[in-house]
Amino acid sequence: MKAKRVIWLLTGLLVLCTLPAAGGLNAAAEKVVLRMGDNIPDRNSPWGLVIEEINAEFMRKHPHVEIVTESLQDQPYQQKIRIYAASNQLPDVFKYWSHPPLLGPMVENDYIMALNPADYDDMGFVAGSLEVNMYDGKLYGLPTNADFWVIYYNQRLFEENKVEVPATMDELLAAAEVFQANGIIPISTMGREGWPLVITFDTLVGRYSNDFDIIQKALDREARFTEVPFLQAARKFMELVNAGLFQADLLTSDYGAARNLFGQEVAAMHVMGSWELGLSTDTAFSEQFRENVRAMRFPAVAGEAGDIDNLSAWFGGNYVVSAQTEHKELALDYLDMYFTRYPDLAWEKKVNIPAQVVRATDEDGPLAQDLLAILGSAKATGDPSQDRGTPAFKEAYERLAQELVAGIKTPEQFVMELDRIAEKYAE
Amino acid sequence: MNKAFRDKRTIFLMIFPGLAFLFFAMIMPIFLSIYYGMTDWPGIGPMNFVGLKNFREIILSDSVFWTSLGNAVKLTLVTLFLQNPLAVIVCIMILACRKNARFFRTVYYIPAIIPIVVTTKLWVGVFNPTYGLLNKFLSVIGLDFLATNWLSNPRTAVWSVILIVIWQGFGWAILFYYSGLVSIPNEFKEAALIDGAGGVKLYTKVILPLMMPVIRAVVIIALITCFKQMETVYLSTGGGPGNITQFLANYLYIKAFVSYEFGYGNALSILFVSISLLGTYLLIRFTRAKAGEY
Repeated sequence: MKAKRVIWLLTGLLVLCTLPAAGGLNAAAEKVVLRMGDNIPDRNSPWGLVIEEINAEFMRKHPHVEIVTESLQDQPYQQKIRIYAASNQLPDVFKYWSHPPLLGPMVENDYIMALNPADYDDMGFVAGSLEVNMYDGKLYGLPTNADFWVIYYNQRLFEENKVEVPATMDELLAAAEVFQANGIIPISTMGREGWPLVITFDTLVGRYSNDFDIIQKALDREARFTEVPFLQAARKFMELVNAGLFQADLLTSDYGAARNLFGQEVAAMHVMGSWELGLSTDTAFSEQFRENVRAMRFPAVAGEAGDIDNLSAWFGGNYVVSAQTEHKELALDYLDMYFTRYPDLAWEKKVNIPAQVVRATDEDGPLAQDLLAILGSAKATGDPSQDRGTPAFKEAYERLAQELVAGIKTPEQFVMELDRIAEKYAE
Repeated sequence: MNKAFRDKRTIFLMIFPGLAFLFFAMIMPIFLSIYYGMTDWPGIGPMNFVGLKNFREIILSDSVFWTSLGNAVKLTLVTLFLQNPLAVIVCIMILACRKNARFFRTVYYIPAIIPIVVTTKLWVGVFNPTYGLLNKFLSVIGLDFLATNWLSNPRTAVWSVILIVIWQGFGWAILFYYSGLVSIPNEFKEAALIDGAGGVKLYTKVILPLMMPVIRAVVIIALITCFKQMETVYLSTGGGPGNITQFLANYLYIKAFVSYEFGYGNALSILFVSISLLGTYLLIRFTRAKAGEY
């Protein structure tokens, strides 16, 4: 009898314990997982924090949604997305580059969904920023940031060494001489990967030709890379390298090493994109540095046609939606929230220059004001030439730029080889 | 029980998992790789069959492939004719130390237990033209004129990478040769000494011939390691500047996963495996007759 009572009691307890679990199962069944992908693995970086803030806000608005993000560095991220695409497992919403060689196959193979441009009419996208994501008149992605190539400089080092901000290449070379004499590296940049070298070369071409159309024409094989502006730019590049303008280990310096040289005030200038706006808020560097970091335009070449206001500029950080997503409405809702919140948050935290209109405030630091002024005064813009060809062309071009800087190729050999690979990959 | 083991179906069922693993993990990927090597597949989207075009292009007009192969051969030669003999000499010296042998054994083996990422970055630091130890040392001893940008200078870059690889592998060479040396029975040495074979002769005529099985194994491992060298190259120079320090494994990775020429990368991998197999086969044949036994 006693045993029977115990069995009943245990059974009752079991039923009671099972009830909330069953409720939990129902709740779990309703839970929707929205898969995301991006190339910002450091979630404590300003950009990572902004994304997490938007995600948290989205999950508060949609309590049944859980956002799961896969985040890797550029190269492994690209590889993973391609593997996911080939196996129909793309994340619902993910970041992907707008360059035709990367986004093109995604569109052609129907991996990503066309968006309705009218939905984003009132979001203040900068003129031309959506066009880079258009294929056959359809919009496939939304850009997060406007990127352009500038020279950051340390105002304190300039003042202490009595150097004026250079407006021409001759002034830049003269400034470099002063810095070198005082044991300061004139300019740091990354050379271990060739893309900063190529963008710098593009900018130099723009300083001779006054527009960037000639680069596109050469890529389309309507012009040759052996034409005068390219050769002049290659020669000028080598003149800068041979004058010791860059750090001695340029070709083995990775991104962080080059950035640190500048941030630790060992280098007076740093050639990089506008996304380094965060230099002025990066607490890894001294307050003295953060207060003195400024940006200037890439100097012009005296007597040449190129205007100092011509910018190597492009739009990046695109978000796209998988064509196979089972949560289309949620994915579009996420894009809507992201691009409503991102510009203000990104500008407030100085993540980068958004591709949407932002209001400058009095609280913006001098670096932010410099960058806005540079962008505001841009006359002609052109996106990096290596990104306009196939990935194989990009890789070959970047390595060729390294060969030029290392002295393996002369400027004449460089332009001839560049023309050869452009011809090869244009086929 | 014996009857069950004689039953062909039982035998088949027992070896099937192993065979299936071998087929799906080894044989099928090789054939798939050969097939992909005959396509122009960029990794996603449609693939077109292009026959032997990739192989033809690699052999006839891809200068980077030949540079990569040349660098692998350079590394192999330095490993075989510099690292290995040096390791043997160091092992003999360590053995002669008796009392402190354990200490030296540990010291020489240290590079082998430090992760490659760490040792590579350490050497990149040593080679740094501005802050690196090497140029500073040259300056201190009055050889400033030799200071250079070791990993970017086209004349020194590949040799600097080879030095890093040799240094990283030195501990392993010591481990193998030391084991080989201590495993030779003392009777042989004593008999040779009684017969008047002292000093260099003892080693060249007795010890080394007896060590041939070990040398053969080390040489084959060294050849394979040199040909598939990637980590150090990837972490130090990335194959640059340009492709001057490019190696086969790194090059095929770049082609397949950076340039997205997946078909071309597969063709490279097939050639890479074929060359490694051929080299291993030749070495085995060349050293077989000379292998000593005891």
